[in-house]
Amino acid sequence: MKKRVVVTGMGVVSPLGCTKEEFWDNLLNGKSGIEPMTTLDLSPYKCKLGGEVRDLHPEIHLGSKGLKYLNKGTRFLGSAAKMALNDAQLPPDGSLSDQMGVVIGSSLGNFSETTDYFYEIIRNNPSELSPMLSYDVALNSSINYVSVVFKIKGLARTISSGFTSSVDAVGNAFTMIQRDMARVIITGGVEQISIDLYLIFYIRGLLSGLDGKREGSTPFDKERNGFVMSEGSYVVILEELQHALDRGAHIYAEIRGFGNTFVGGRDYSQEERIRRAEKAMYYALEDANIKKEDINIIGANANGCQMQDAVEAKAIQSFYGPASQHIPVSAIKSNIGESYGTAGAAQVISTIMSMNTGTVPYIINYKERDPEISLNLISETPLKRDIRNAMINNFDYEGNNSCLIVSNFNG
Amino acid sequence: MSKVVITGLGLVTPVGIGVKESWASFIRGRDGGNEMKSFDTSLYKIHRSCEVKNFHLDVELENQIRENTIHKYVYSAAREALQESGLLGDEKFDRERFGIAIGTLAAELTPHERLLRLDTSRKDNGFDKTVAAVYPPNSITNILAKYFDFEGPAMISLNACSSGNHAIAWAYDLLTENKLDVVMVGGGDMIPQTEFTHFHNLKALTPERCQPFDKNRQGLMIGEGAGILIMERGEFAKKRGATIIAEMAGYGLSCDGFHMTAPHPEGEGAVKCMSDALKMARLSGADIGYINAHGTGTPHNDKAETTAIKRVFKEHAYRIPCSSTKSMIGHLMGAASTVESVICCLVLRHGILPPTIHYETPDPECDLDYIPNISRELKVKHVLNNSFAFGGNNATTIFSSV
Repeated sequence: MKKRVVVTGMGVVSPLGCTKEEFWDNLLNGKSGIEPMTTLDLSPYKCKLGGEVRDLHPEIHLGSKGLKYLNKGTRFLGSAAKMALNDAQLPPDGSLSDQMGVVIGSSLGNFSETTDYFYEIIRNNPSELSPMLSYDVALNSSINYVSVVFKIKGLARTISSGFTSSVDAVGNAFTMIQRDMARVIITGGVEQISIDLYLIFYIRGLLSGLDGKREGSTPFDKERNGFVMSEGSYVVILEELQHALDRGAHIYAEIRGFGNTFVGGRDYSQEERIRRAEKAMYYALEDANIKKEDINIIGANANGCQMQDAVEAKAIQSFYGPASQHIPVSAIKSNIGESYGTAGAAQVISTIMSMNTGTVPYIINYKERDPEISLNLISETPLKRDIRNAMINNFDYEGNNSCLIVSNFNG
Repeated sequence: MSKVVITGLGLVTPVGIGVKESWASFIRGRDGGNEMKSFDTSLYKIHRSCEVKNFHLDVELENQIRENTIHKYVYSAAREALQESGLLGDEKFDRERFGIAIGTLAAELTPHERLLRLDTSRKDNGFDKTVAAVYPPNSITNILAKYFDFEGPAMISLNACSSGNHAIAWAYDLLTENKLDVVMVGGGDMIPQTEFTHFHNLKALTPERCQPFDKNRQGLMIGEGAGILIMERGEFAKKRGATIIAEMAGYGLSCDGFHMTAPHPEGEGAVKCMSDALKMARLSGADIGYINAHGTGTPHNDKAETTAIKRVFKEHAYRIPCSSTKSMIGHLMGAASTVESVICCLVLRHGILPPTIHYETPDPECDLDYIPNISRELKVKHVLNNSFAFGGNNATTIFSSV
C-alpha cells in the first residue's frame, strides 16, 4: 500500500520577494519581478531584462557564521529551505534525521562559481589557492550544505534534468515517500543568474528581445519572442500523511500523481511534441487516479517561447477536448520569468496558494490573443475559484515533459 | 513488484576500453595510473591520475560528441552494453518505455575549461552553438536518446561520487513500479582541472599510487571513464529471451548530514545505507559474498568505511572479502559507482574477485579481508557496492546472481 503524501511547508526566495507571503501578494497584485539586470554587465548584448532576487538577507535564516563561503545559490536554497521548515514547524535540529531527506532540482547551479574558480586557477599558482575557494563550487554543494546545516540523514539527491529539474525533484520526492524511503523530504529547486548561463541561453537564441522586438515575459501572447531568465529557490516540505497528522501539522495540499515523457535528443515534429506532452498529462492523472474532468486549474509551463507555448496550448486543447475552453490556465512565468531548474517548484507553490485562498493570479503582459492558442487564460484580474485538483506542467523543449497533480487535502 | 535484472554491461576505464579488456586488467591487478596528460600539472605537487588511454571511437559522430570526450566515453560504454543486451538497433519494442539515468559529477566542466583557456579575458569568447549544446549535464542523456533511440524519461543525478548509485536506485524504482521496461543506467566523468585542484588543495590526492586500506595510504587518485548497465524489468527481459547477467536486489540511501567534505568518523550514514540496502534486498549480512568498497584511499574514508562495515556485518565482516578497485583505476567521481556496479556484476558472472592492489602494510584500524594484491576465485551469490560522496551523500546497491 502506497503512502499518501502531503505538503506541510513552503519557502520562497524569488524576484517577487523573499517570503512566500510577499511572493503571493505580488503575484495576486499582478506585479512583475522582471527588471533590467543589475548584477551582470550586459552592455555588449541585446537582451537586458532578468528576474533577479533582491533583498534576500540570508543571515536572518542561516546566521552570519560561515556565510562568506557560501555562493548565491546556496544562500537561496538554504534560506528557502529554512523558511519551509519553519513554516512546517519542523525543528531544523536533526531530531527527525533518519526519516528526513532532501531532493533538489537544479539545471546548472553553481556553474558560474565554477568558472570563477577556474579563472583563479589559470591566473594564479593553483596549488596555492585556499581550499575554501572551492568549498561551495560543485553543482550539488548547495544541497550538501542544506543536508549538513539541517542535519539530514535520510538521503540527499540532486536532479539535473534541465528545465524540468524541480518538478522532477518534487515528483521523485513524492515517489520516495510513497515507497516509505523517507517520512519528510525537503524538495524543490534552485537556480542563479550568471553571465555563463545568460550566454548559453543567448547563443541558443532562447531569450526574449533577441529578434530586436519588444523584450518581456509574455507567455501565450501572440507577440511572444522568447523567455526572460530568472533566479531563485522554491522549496516545499513533503510529508507522509500519517506523520503530518500525528504531529498536528498544518496541511496545505496533497500531492497525488506524477508523470513524464521525453522529447530530447532529436528534432521531433510539433505534432509529436504535442502527443508526448499530452501523454505526460495522461500518465500523471493515471498515477493520481483522477479523471481529467476533475481538474479545475492548470498551472502552465508557458514562458514566452514561440514554439513551446504553442505545443503546450495545443496539448491541453487536444487532451481536454472542449473542456479546455473552460479550465482556467495560469502562467506565473509572466511575473517571475523563466527560472528553468526551479520554475516548476514555483508553480507548485503558487498553485497550492491558489487552492488555499481560492484565488488564482492572472497572466500579466498578456495583450494579444494568438489565434493558434485557444485556452481559458486568466488575464486582467485574479480569478476567484474553489480548486480541488490542479495540474502543473513543466516542460523542457529538449528534455522531459513533466506533469504533477496536486489536490486540496480533505482528509 | 517487478524484479529488476541486468542484461548488458559497458565500460571505458583507465585500464581498458570495453568490458573484456577492463576485466582482464582488473583480475590481473593492473595499475591504471599515469602522468597527467589532459592539462599541465607543473605548478602542482601531484602529477598523476588515471586517464583513459588509447580511446578511439570507430564511428563518425556529430560535432556535439566531438566537442566533449565524456559523451564519447558514455556513448561507447552504452553501445557495448546495448549490444550485449540484444537491444542495439532493436525496433520491436515501445521505445517510450526505455528510459535513461546518468550520474556525473561535472560533465560540463571539461569543455568549458577548454574554452576558458583559449581566452582568459572574456568569458563569452569562443562560445558557439555546438559548445553551448554540450554544457548542461542533461546533454548526455539527450545524446544517448538520440543515438540509441531511447524515448522514455531521462534523469541526471548530480550527487558527486555517489551519482551512479543514485541513478541505479532511480531506475530500480521505475522498473519495479512497471513504469518503464528498460533503463540505460550509468555514469561518466573526466578530470576537469577544477576538480583536480579542489582535491589537490584539500590534500586529498596521493602522489604516486592509490593504496586503499594500507597503513601508509596517502589519498585518492582521480580517474576518468564511463560505465553503463542495461537494467530491465524481469518479465520484460524474460519474455524477449534476454540473457540475464544478474539481478538487482536493492539499494540504500543516506546522508551524513555532518560535514561538507569529511565523512562521519563512525561511518553513521554508511551504516544506514548498507543496512537499508540489505533490508530492501531481504538479505542478512551473512548472505553477502563480496563488497566493492568505496575505498578511496584517503585516511578518513577507509577507516570510517571499515568501521561502518564492521557495525553492519558484525562478526561476518571479517569473512566477507572486500576490495577497492579504485586502487587500479582511481576514483572515477560521478562514474565511480556505476563502473563499480558493472564490476560487481562481472564478479557474479565470472566468480573471480578483483584485488586491492598496492596493499603492503596492514593498518590495525583497517583489519578486514581486502583481497590484497591478487585476485581470488570465489563463486558468490550476493555482492554489495558502496559509494560515499563528499558532503556525506551515500548510496549502496546490491546485486545477486540469478
